[in-house]
Amino acid sequence: MVKTSLLFAIAFVLLIASFFASMCMGRYEIDFSTLAHFLSWKWFDIGAMPRDATLLSNILFDIRLPRIVAVILVGAALAVSGGAFQAMFVNPLVSPGILGVLAGSSFGAALGIMISDSWIGVQLFSFAFGFLAVMCALLIARIYGKNAPTTILLVLGGVISSALFSALLSLVKYMADPYNKLPAIVYWLMGSFSAVDMKTLLNVSVPLVLSMIVLSLMGKYLNILSLGDDDAKALGVRVSLVRNTAILLATLLSALTVVVAGMIGWVGLIIPHIARFMVGADNRVMLPMCLLLGGIFLLWVDTLCRTVLSVEIPVGIVTALVGIPIFVLALKNAKKGFA
Amino acid sequence: MSFYEARNIHFSYQQKKVLDGVTVSIPKGSIVSLLGANGAGKSTLMKILLGLLSPDQGEVILEEKNLADYSIKKRAEHIAYVPQSTKIVFAFSALQIVLMGRIAFEAWFAKASSEHDKQVCYAAMERLGIAHLAERNYQTLSGGEKQLVLIARALAQGAKILVMDEPISGLDYGNQLRLLEAILTLCKEGYTFLKSTHFPEHALMLEGQTYALKDGKILANGDTKSVVTEELINTLYQTNITLFTTHFGYKACVPNFLNQRI
Repeated sequence: MVKTSLLFAIAFVLLIASFFASMCMGRYEIDFSTLAHFLSWKWFDIGAMPRDATLLSNILFDIRLPRIVAVILVGAALAVSGGAFQAMFVNPLVSPGILGVLAGSSFGAALGIMISDSWIGVQLFSFAFGFLAVMCALLIARIYGKNAPTTILLVLGGVISSALFSALLSLVKYMADPYNKLPAIVYWLMGSFSAVDMKTLLNVSVPLVLSMIVLSLMGKYLNILSLGDDDAKALGVRVSLVRNTAILLATLLSALTVVVAGMIGWVGLIIPHIARFMVGADNRVMLPMCLLLGGIFLLWVDTLCRTVLSVEIPVGIVTALVGIPIFVLALKNAKKGFA
Repeated sequence: MSFYEARNIHFSYQQKKVLDGVTVSIPKGSIVSLLGANGAGKSTLMKILLGLLSPDQGEVILEEKNLADYSIKKRAEHIAYVPQSTKIVFAFSALQIVLMGRIAFEAWFAKASSEHDKQVCYAAMERLGIAHLAERNYQTLSGGEKQLVLIARALAQGAKILVMDEPISGLDYGNQLRLLEAILTLCKEGYTFLKSTHFPEHALMLEGQTYALKDGKILANGDTKSVVTEELINTLYQTNITLFTTHFGYKACVPNFLNQRI
């Protein structure tokens, strides 16, 4: 227990430190003393007004802060929803896209880009189709009812639903205007935080934070789900209620991440592995750890994306490039049963 | 007067009839063994008795009340399930597995397990002599230890009826005997057992009552000593054995092909 608390303290400090470090980094370098000076003046009214206060305020508060907060929230949300999906499907290879939410959201976004010019329209389409895809998966699983274990049917439903929406996405891409709509769709699918604004952030942050908290609090029921349905029922747990609630919250989380930043893979798959390696399989501690680690991980990846080259690299590409080697390393634990 | 009973149960998977009018009555504080070949319907019957499957026809009665009328939580307070082997993908410690037995009693959204619950779980593990395994990763335990952890979970659950699906298969000889002993001890303390088994000799060791299931029907039932006969075993499993009574009055099965050696 002492070890766990220590790990949480370290992760938390690391997140705060990464936040300030990332605030300093970018095309316009700000050294740490300037940042400290500016923030103490701005927030606590200590010290003199910095010379370039307007410029700093513009860069830090209007550009970097919303983006960094969005990155942390999205990273945390993907990791928590991935962890929850892994627990309820009793499978450490599951990622948030398992029930088709990512395929659905991508199709929705592409459709939104094709038929509307408003940013909010794209977001609404993306969110709605993400949910629709999961509903399809659940419906397909429901049709076959009693014939097989629920989790297998759900996975099958997810595969079918994902395939359907991927095909529809191809159709939209094929039909989209190749000079300005198609590139927009392609860039969206690579994932990026460059379009994040304060308004979007405010809209999504409340449901994101609430879902993460509730899902983390459901940890002990998710533990029981990972024993299998029969065991869980015999232990007095209402399996379908718990599973449906968890699916709803995890879907909400993943759909909102697509709304904010497009498709970002791998975070939801690898972060739960690292969290489990650090604090064990108990979801009551594992999910909060996912939350912190997901935030830290994506923050560093996004900071890399916007600083390494003079043009921004889409974040989805870098999460894959960084995530794959980490995942290969994590698989070393497979023999020991995904510690 | 019935304590725990399945009455006239019919059940089919798709077109295949698995249980055809089965009645099983389990008296309080007894050990009831369920014998039958693979596919005889033992596991299905147990799942129905646990309330995990609902029968097409018939009903399960627990303390004069229909099992279907119990809430899932109340049911868990009365009946615990000890599965054959729970395959656990994630690395939970043995104590964490036992603590999951307390779930029905914990407050919603309780962040950590209470000290009281931990005490209950330690006591249950102590009782089965596995307290030293508490912090071990469940996946790395041996088959026998895993089975004992699952029994400890059932005890921690507080249920007085333990339904065990072939608890003994897959254990080495020493662990088999230790498990049988544990069952006898717990029975003396007032626990009720329903267990399916592949070994007629285990039923004979535990005495109590036996139900023999063949093709979804009860072939014979009653006091184990009088029910488990040479003839019954040979019919159930299509074997050719002789049941010898040894000098303790304990019966042992000897396959007849061994006679040719003498």
